[in-house]
Amino acid sequence: MAFCSPHTTTSLHSPRTTIPNSGFRQNQVILFTTRSSRRSNTRNGARTFQVSCAVDKPIVIGLAADSGCGKSTFMRRLTSVFGGAAEPPRGGNPDSNTLISDTTTVICLDDYHSLDRTGRKEKGVTALDPKANDFDLMYEQVKAIKEGKAIEKPIYNHVTGLLDPAELIQPPKIFVIEGLHPMYDERVRDLLDFSIYLDISNEVKFAWKIQRDMAERGHSLESIKASIEARKPDFDAFIDPQKQYADAVIEVLPTQLIPDDNEGKVLRVKLIMKEGVKFFNPVYLFDEGSTINWIPCGRKLTCSYPGIKFSYGPDTYFGQEVSVLEMDGQFDRLDELIYVESHLSNLSSKFYGEVTQQMLKHADFPGSNNGTGLFQTIVGLKIRDLYEQIIAERVGAPAQAAKV
Amino acid sequence: MASALTNVSLSTFAAAARGDVLARPQGPARVTFPMVSRVVACRAGGPATPPGISDKVSESIKDAQEACSDDSASGECAAAWDEVEELSAAASHARDKLKDSDPLENYCKENPETDECRTYDS
Repeated sequence: MAFCSPHTTTSLHSPRTTIPNSGFRQNQVILFTTRSSRRSNTRNGARTFQVSCAVDKPIVIGLAADSGCGKSTFMRRLTSVFGGAAEPPRGGNPDSNTLISDTTTVICLDDYHSLDRTGRKEKGVTALDPKANDFDLMYEQVKAIKEGKAIEKPIYNHVTGLLDPAELIQPPKIFVIEGLHPMYDERVRDLLDFSIYLDISNEVKFAWKIQRDMAERGHSLESIKASIEARKPDFDAFIDPQKQYADAVIEVLPTQLIPDDNEGKVLRVKLIMKEGVKFFNPVYLFDEGSTINWIPCGRKLTCSYPGIKFSYGPDTYFGQEVSVLEMDGQFDRLDELIYVESHLSNLSSKFYGEVTQQMLKHADFPGSNNGTGLFQTIVGLKIRDLYEQIIAERVGAPAQAAKV
Repeated sequence: MASALTNVSLSTFAAAARGDVLARPQGPARVTFPMVSRVVACRAGGPATPPGISDKVSESIKDAQEACSDDSASGECAAAWDEVEELSAAASHARDKLKDSDPLENYCKENPETDECRTYDS
């Protein structure tokens, strides 16, 4: 039975009504937007009346990674696969951490900090520490969204370090929770339809943070190193263990193609995919379940130094059956990427060359020429496939995975 | 300018010469502090961090160094460096936002019906 809930929204804190109504047909969405007073300030601004039906109850995706490890880039790739750019909520708090596209809403779990910056300083706890986070509220709100209900979610302001007034979040088709602890609390974890962990090795983390911070006034190699080291005990205790629960792990390591490389420019990236996850069929190279080492460079494809190396095979990860696809090196030319794409199977792409197209579309994003961009794009396609299968199952049609 | 040019040709020459003697992997990857030089070049092309956040980052680094002077294993020390990380990430996001943004485009996203934002079909 469809459950439809009309919402009238005038500002972030307007009262809202939720009226059960079974009179609407499935898939029916009515959206009125009045923009008569757009020019005035946002408090009297857009007035939206919306009715959404519960057949579109969101699927929930969790993305875990440390700060500064590429979550934002991944989110931009993911929302791009679903079509349409993700943007901050219009007319809301300019420091909101939320991104909204036609299909997807991404929230940042920092919004569930129970201690603000001053509070953490007084108590001597980092944001990585569960004590600084309100998992009860996180669970309640993710659960509400999953049931198709809107939430009033707090906003953690990363500039001021304070908790700002809440923002209204409507249930989207795909709801992504990204941050430090999406898989930490068992109740929240159980709500996830799919989970991803970005596992950045210490060497690469250091190199990335140098790239990010070195030009920042006050920073030095010493300060960057000190920050990583001071946060490491809490990272190891509370963040890292979550990777055992992830359905897909993207592991980023220094290359093995250049002996003793410590520049962090060429990367070796592993995509670890859990076996037996409903609606998720791991990508493979040549022959599913075999162990393959592949250097695509040769007579058909010329690669520039240091070349490209792939491997694929079954493995175990925290005692669970997984398939691992690994890429070392980087793409220098378009034909290299197309050649590689044409040799991968189970990509869940809608047409031949879709992975390459996505990578080219965002050639300016970090990692578009290496395994991080490639595997993030593939995971994006996998999540789209997962979503379509779940919806197909809900509608009662036979689930059909798009396979290329 | 002249000295810069000399430097460039010298290092290129040195790398090329080394390439002749040694195997290829020993080439440019051996340069000292390659990251640092690249970052400087990168910053010149991108927008600067908004001053408000930039000040907070440098203040937080000073605070962290102080907080850790007594006991580098204390919770206060970790919390202080965690604040540095949080602000550094915020600074990076603020730079990204500036990079993507055209002031007129942003204004028109919020105010599509204003005169400045009209588009005409010919």
